[in-house]
Amino acid sequence: MPQVKLRQSILEFSTYPPVGDDDWRYAFATARVRALETQMLPRATFQDMANAQSFENALDMLSAGQYAVPKGAAGFADIEEVLLQRRAEVRELFASLMIDESIVELFKSRDDFANLRLALRRALTDKPVGADYSPSGNVAPEVLEQAFAEENYAVLPGYVRRAAEAATINYYQDKDVRRIDYEIDRLQALHNIDEARRLGSIFLDGLFRTQVDLTNIRTLLRLKFTESEQIDVFLDGGFLEPAFYKHGLDLGYEAIGNLFFATPYQHLVEVGAGYLASNKSFLKTEGQCDRHLIGLLKSTAQITAGPQPIIAYLLMKEHEIRTIRLVLTAKKNSLDTRLILDRIA
Amino acid sequence: MLANVNATRMELLRLRKRVALASRGHRLLSEKRDEISRRLIQIARGISLLRKRVEAQLLETCRRFMMARASMEPEHIKAALAVPTKKLTLTVQFASIMNVKVPHLLKEISGRIICYGFATTSGEMDVALIALEKAFDDLVELAEKEKQAALLATELRMTRRRVNVLEHVIIPELHETIRFIFDKLAEAERDNISRLMKITDIIRA
Repeated sequence: MPQVKLRQSILEFSTYPPVGDDDWRYAFATARVRALETQMLPRATFQDMANAQSFENALDMLSAGQYAVPKGAAGFADIEEVLLQRRAEVRELFASLMIDESIVELFKSRDDFANLRLALRRALTDKPVGADYSPSGNVAPEVLEQAFAEENYAVLPGYVRRAAEAATINYYQDKDVRRIDYEIDRLQALHNIDEARRLGSIFLDGLFRTQVDLTNIRTLLRLKFTESEQIDVFLDGGFLEPAFYKHGLDLGYEAIGNLFFATPYQHLVEVGAGYLASNKSFLKTEGQCDRHLIGLLKSTAQITAGPQPIIAYLLMKEHEIRTIRLVLTAKKNSLDTRLILDRIA
Repeated sequence: MLANVNATRMELLRLRKRVALASRGHRLLSEKRDEISRRLIQIARGISLLRKRVEAQLLETCRRFMMARASMEPEHIKAALAVPTKKLTLTVQFASIMNVKVPHLLKEISGRIICYGFATTSGEMDVALIALEKAFDDLVELAEKEKQAALLATELRMTRRRVNVLEHVIIPELHETIRFIFDKLAEAERDNISRLMKITDIIRA
């Protein structure tokens, strides 16, 4: 551990959790990812796209790269198709570069939880379960459909089965579909952290705990904004305890930043809460959360070889695809440039 | 009409009654037309402001929703919005404005509009749905007012046509027919008098 701490740069040691050590089995994969990282769109490109005069001009800025839309593409559906295709390619590349299969399964489980959420919502509200699920998970959509049709959850992996059972019990407490999501979110966060610890990955542990913290911060502000009576929805497993956020519910927007003064999140909470109070919007909060997470992912630059840069590449690439979708959607619908810039900050 | 008319005193009396009835009907329909116009203007004034407000609210909702949708993964959007929990029931009751049956919409809203968890969804989705929820009241009111205005406008058009027909066609025609019968009867009367005078002259001679 002391060695790991020495690897943290002076500026970041109190901002981001440690990223762990080198793993020389990943020398080739890391080198490949480093080469691919140079092809990623720089921040300036997104700003230029946001400032473009029209949707077509914004689209033209992507025409020279991998996000070029084929000629004759008519609507936004074609662009969405290209983005989904690129996302699938990135995920395939990630799976091919990652030597530890458990890490691939861990990231694929994100789609399993998303599919489970949809399937359970349908099943518990007596709607057809269907088979229109994401095929990128560990569980094939047909298997999921069959499991729900026959009510035979034994065919599902343990974490999906446990989440399904817990979410069902939680739902029947007061037949509120939101409880399905709350329970699955909670179990997904715990599953991620448990797996990271089982794999012995300091980086994944820090990453998932940071994600939990950022989710809890967004949840805190959303609960305050919607004046929701639900307060037991904060996720466990982050660097900060759920009780910490519950305390924040009693504070005003101007005071909420000070609550986080001893954490690396003070700036993002202050900026997000201020923007929320003045603009009634979460754009800045979400932009700042993304920025914090990207900062953590970029701190893997200090790793010469290891799974960390590959994981970081996957997540940064997914973020890039989401940002492209966001900017293009906003330009297509002639939204204010300021809003786009606030979001991609 | 004049060719088919029987120039008799009975017909004259009948037509005079019809003229009186048509004039009364014209007066009543004119009053109805004026009242419907007044009500229509009143509703239209309210609609104009309401429509602007609803359009602004819906525009804001769409803007927020687009930002939320763009910043979320497609599978998360599908999962979040697959099973809505907000239920809106509309009941239609009818009220009468100047004998025009206009709808009055009564809404019953139950459930929460935010029907998803927080971890995989965007805060902008909350803002969009809350804005949509607030727009519901105005949206229903606008629908009610616009339907009322449409029905009143149709009735106004029909009433105006009836008033015009009475004023410019039926009453003048009836007056013309009465004058025609009156002239005919007067002529017949003059014929009769001159015939009687001739007979008197013949008898005296």
